[in-house]
Amino acid sequence: MKKTTIVTIGSVLVIVPLFLLAISINENKAEQKTITAAAHAAQTKGDVVPQIKKFESRSSEWGKYYQRQYDSYRQTRKSDKITDMLIDYPALVVMWAGYGFAKDYNAPRGHYYIVEDNINTLRTGGPVDAATGPMPTACWTCKSPDVPRLIDKIGELDYFTGKWARHGSEIANPVGCADCHDNETMRLTITRDFLKRGLDAEGSLKAKDATHQDLRSLVCAQCHSEYYFKKTKWTDKNGKEQTAGVVTFPWDNGFSAEAMEKYYDDRNFKDWTNKVSKTPMLKAQHPGYEMYKTGVHGLNNVACADCHMPYVREGGVKYSSHNVGSPLDHMANTCLNCHSEEEKAFKDRVARKLERKTELNKTAMDVIARAHLEAGKAWELGATEAEMKDILQDIRHAQWRWDYSIASHGSFFHAPEETLRVLGSSINTGQEARVKLRAVLAKYGAGDFAAPDFSTKEKAQAVTGLPYQKLVDEKMTFLNGLRKEWIEQQKAKGLYDPKAWEDMPFNTSYAPAE
Amino acid sequence: METKNMMKYVSIFSVVVAVGMSAYVGYASKMFSYMSEDPKVCINCHTMNTEYATWQHSSHREWTTCVECHLPQEPFVSKILAKSRDGFKHSYAMTFRTYKGENIRISESARLRIQDNCIYCHDEIVSQMIENSKLYMTAASSEKFDRKCWSCHRTVPHGTTRSLTTTPDNLGIKEI
Repeated sequence: MKKTTIVTIGSVLVIVPLFLLAISINENKAEQKTITAAAHAAQTKGDVVPQIKKFESRSSEWGKYYQRQYDSYRQTRKSDKITDMLIDYPALVVMWAGYGFAKDYNAPRGHYYIVEDNINTLRTGGPVDAATGPMPTACWTCKSPDVPRLIDKIGELDYFTGKWARHGSEIANPVGCADCHDNETMRLTITRDFLKRGLDAEGSLKAKDATHQDLRSLVCAQCHSEYYFKKTKWTDKNGKEQTAGVVTFPWDNGFSAEAMEKYYDDRNFKDWTNKVSKTPMLKAQHPGYEMYKTGVHGLNNVACADCHMPYVREGGVKYSSHNVGSPLDHMANTCLNCHSEEEKAFKDRVARKLERKTELNKTAMDVIARAHLEAGKAWELGATEAEMKDILQDIRHAQWRWDYSIASHGSFFHAPEETLRVLGSSINTGQEARVKLRAVLAKYGAGDFAAPDFSTKEKAQAVTGLPYQKLVDEKMTFLNGLRKEWIEQQKAKGLYDPKAWEDMPFNTSYAPAE
Repeated sequence: METKNMMKYVSIFSVVVAVGMSAYVGYASKMFSYMSEDPKVCINCHTMNTEYATWQHSSHREWTTCVECHLPQEPFVSKILAKSRDGFKHSYAMTFRTYKGENIRISESARLRIQDNCIYCHDEIVSQMIENSKLYMTAASSEKFDRKCWSCHRTVPHGTTRSLTTTPDNLGIKEI
């Protein structure tokens, strides 16, 4: 080969990688500049504030100015798997007999699906107009930024009055920007007054004293907490007496399972009566905040957002990820910020925590479901109210404690000691009930009674007499009728955000009839 | 004849471009800044912002710079070799984006170097400890004690928690 050709080829071999390297260097430098600029803007508290109107419930409107946060928020739709908990744990059907959760109960999906799932679940039934259906308006309260908007428009008591279907045409958007952020300053803000009332009643952290770091948990606590619907009488503008079911946190005596149990007992409150055992029951919702406060991260004031909304980097820009989910999915940005250990060691340790909880959880569910069925048998044989009173109180407490300890997401991680302690107390109380029941059963000649088989969802629903197919049919009629009308009405009111419903597949635990 | 002439010009041109390109990359990458020992050179890229900020707020700021701890102090050849190797690894990670998450972790060889440097400066204080530690040496352990100074002095010098997240206001470097 000629010398000139060799020189040329040699030079080109140098030029190409150098050219690519130059591009890479310039990209990195541009990022460095963006970072410095971002830090500068943060320091000078950037005086350009995007114009977003108050109570704007359509997150895509906020997303125009905060694209990264919005895009990451939309990633919650990747958490789309439906896991039917009633199939995994059929004992639940017995424990919740006569209550909505026995109809349909799935493991949670991403925030993106929050309204869709609320509408699809068999629990909310198949209303045919604004005044029918099994659930009250309060069931929307944690699902949508349309709720604070609506409360501002019609007043809190009016909002909490009536049936779930009443607000169907107003609740158009899944949990989003307006649930946690101030529209002018983007500061975190509590948009649900019942959290402020709950905090003030509990007293250890008054709502007005909350710091920014506190708010990074409290905005989550607006929904990830235990609550009940407190009956509240009021008079509407026509002078007619109405009863509202106001979402209320039972925190007056404290955050613990026992403190809330006392709160409910003192008020003779029950969520429903178990159809099998006739027990006046409590349903724990999801005392996530209360649980987390007792755990090591909560005690060190590590906020929900520290782990569930970690800072991430996109190119050179750093922002808080709004893809709320398990911190274990990206440990390099979460756990490892503070802990210098290997990922695998961490994952194994967390898995072991979950195993421990699952073990006691299964035991508790089995004990409580059997107690219900045995109590049902005792009634059937003619047991008296006096004989059953203590037993039912034990069942009520056992199930409440079980529910309290496992109902919130990740309680086994947030507060493993407290979770296992309360589960232990639940199992003990449940067995207390069963010991007493054995004596009653023996008295009526059924000392060797064994509870019927509830080892599958179908068997358990048959044991408790649940008309499953009828519920599915009603739901489908609703979804194909009234639900479609709601969407049209939402569009007419300018509430409907197509981006919030993009690529929304119909995904449920039940299959519609062919 | 004509082709030969043309090839000659092409080859000269390509050599000129290659030289020009090298000069440009040298300029863009601030190549010569790496000859210095100024800590700011370590934040030519943003990866080390947190390490710079935490050092800058530590007591060691008054006495040492990045390279005084992280590179062998002598002989000079080891220092240059270590610097070249680290420099190559860092450029590689930066160019091919192999940094993971917001955390960077030090390599084993660099750990040993730092330990040596701790002892190099704090020799008077630790000399007796080193003597004592020899009594506990086993065949399996290295010539120096296995534990590192910062196994106990955990906050020296970068603090216990160091990641991009822990120094949120130090993204842009602000001189004190």
